[in-house]
Amino acid sequence: MKEQIIEILEDIQPEADYETCRTLIDDHILSSLDVLSLVAELEDEFDVTIPTVEVIPSNFNSVDAIAAMVERLQEEG
Amino acid sequence: MTSYVSILYLLIFLPAVLLVYNVLPKKYRPIILLLASYAFFWSISRKLLVFLLVSTVSIHHIGLWLTAVQSERNDVLAKTERSGKKAVKALYIRRQRWIVFFAACVHVGTLLVLKYSGFFGRNINTLLQTAGVGLSVPILKLMMPIGISFYTMQAMSYVFDVYRETTKADKNLGRLALYMAFFPTIMEGPICRYADDAEQLWEGRRSTLENLTFGTERILYGVFKKIIIADRLNIMIKTLYTGYADYDGGMMAVAAIAYTCQLYMEFSGTMDVVIGSAELFGVVLPENFRHPFFSKSISEFWTRWHITLGTWFRDYIFYPLSMSKPLKKLTSKARKKIGNHFGPLIAGTMALFVVWLFNGLWHGAGWHYIFFGMYHLVLIVAANFVEPFTREFLEKIHIRREEGPYRIFRMIRTALLVCIGELFFRAEGLRAGFCMFNKMVTQFTLCSFTDGTIFSLGMDKLDFIVVALAVLFVFAVSVVSEKGTNVRRLLSTKRRIIRWAVCYGLILCCIIFGAYGMNYTPVDPIYAGF
Repeated sequence: MKEQIIEILEDIQPEADYETCRTLIDDHILSSLDVLSLVAELEDEFDVTIPTVEVIPSNFNSVDAIAAMVERLQEEG
Repeated sequence: MTSYVSILYLLIFLPAVLLVYNVLPKKYRPIILLLASYAFFWSISRKLLVFLLVSTVSIHHIGLWLTAVQSERNDVLAKTERSGKKAVKALYIRRQRWIVFFAACVHVGTLLVLKYSGFFGRNINTLLQTAGVGLSVPILKLMMPIGISFYTMQAMSYVFDVYRETTKADKNLGRLALYMAFFPTIMEGPICRYADDAEQLWEGRRSTLENLTFGTERILYGVFKKIIIADRLNIMIKTLYTGYADYDGGMMAVAAIAYTCQLYMEFSGTMDVVIGSAELFGVVLPENFRHPFFSKSISEFWTRWHITLGTWFRDYIFYPLSMSKPLKKLTSKARKKIGNHFGPLIAGTMALFVVWLFNGLWHGAGWHYIFFGMYHLVLIVAANFVEPFTREFLEKIHIRREEGPYRIFRMIRTALLVCIGELFFRAEGLRAGFCMFNKMVTQFTLCSFTDGTIFSLGMDKLDFIVVALAVLFVFAVSVVSEKGTNVRRLLSTKRRIIRWAVCYGLILCCIIFGAYGMNYTPVDPIYAGF
């Protein structure tokens, strides 16, 4: 899953090292519009619905955090 | 007590509250803070305190109401089959949304009536007159409690967070009341979330030596910015903005730059005093500024300037709107047709339009404030639109945008665009704003700098030198902080004599060079008026 997420992220914003970066939102590497793209891509790719309440920095600061959120939402159905 | 840099606040009220707070046992400390906060509010807005009290009781009740609905939902869900759970969730979300809508009507409705009824009334009357209808809407002259724009946003963020279940409703009315009324934040923010400071405030921790030292240093730095730079520039700015017809384009450029500088020093200086005041009580407040003039784009600027307002709009307006079902669908369809970059831009722009309309209106009831919001919307959307082309072009000519001269060019370009926006923001109306901008562009000359006009605006050579040196000092501190050094932490590692020298130096500078006393009219805090 992480590889797929990195692929999506690189397509949206190529200028970042997604393997190591843990401050994607805090350091403004991803803008609000990037987050919109990302949410749409994640919903299509992993067949989940990401509610607004999940759009918080801690869920999008790193690839690990994004993957954890997607896995949790998949489990919740 | 009309300002956080008044002698009454800094030398009497704040030390007195701090002393009583630390002398009393722990369980009475939050009560002292609450009483002091209401006394502070009363000293400015008198009986309008009732608005704050009603807001507090209202969100306390609404929070508990939402929790009751949520726990009822959980009980029902526990007894429902898996297939029926979705319908139960939808039913209870609808019920909660009605409660949130009711809360918005109470809180935002009060703000709308008190702050905007005059503006809307005047515009409706103009429309009716233009249409030749012989009717008019009565214009109400209403008194507004201090800080209503700030505490209303705090109240709504609490309601939204309880609705989203990211914050638990607080049964303790006193804790909620202190969160709403804490005296350092009530007038100009920062706009705190319940999770930021409510628990800390109610804990009643004793002030440590570090709290007292760091808090005092921060307050001194804020006073320095406010009374040496912002207040000293005030006379010139007032002269230029009220008498703009008498001056040339060069002076309009001075007006734009000087006001941007004044606004930054005034607001960030007040934030230093506010955050420093809270620090004295061991309370850490969220930062509202992060060296905004190092921003390389307008989008970045708004993540560094009035941060708590920006994040409020982002979390409670931008994301909910842009991620609503219709806009999500639009984004999905648009992405497939016009690609990953431009696809989200359509829905994003719609949500940003609402954000910037509200941002403009939040600052005041006037067309020039709405224009200010729309100006930033256009700049942000345009920058996003050209982003892939810019990136490609820079790659072709081998310029690295994050390094060297191009990075500095981007910072200067952003600062100039911000100055133009602030020119409209400060202008005495939209028409005046356009006149000033037109003059700045079409009648730009340097004559006023050489014929002595520049020194006839209320500031002499010495004033300019003092302001320039103080700005340089703030700039130097900002550069060090921007590089990741905590200046106060660094100072705390130095010998005691150096720390005292810095503190006394700041105090002496404020006493000698501060704009106060007989020759100066006290300057009202700018953001308290919003």
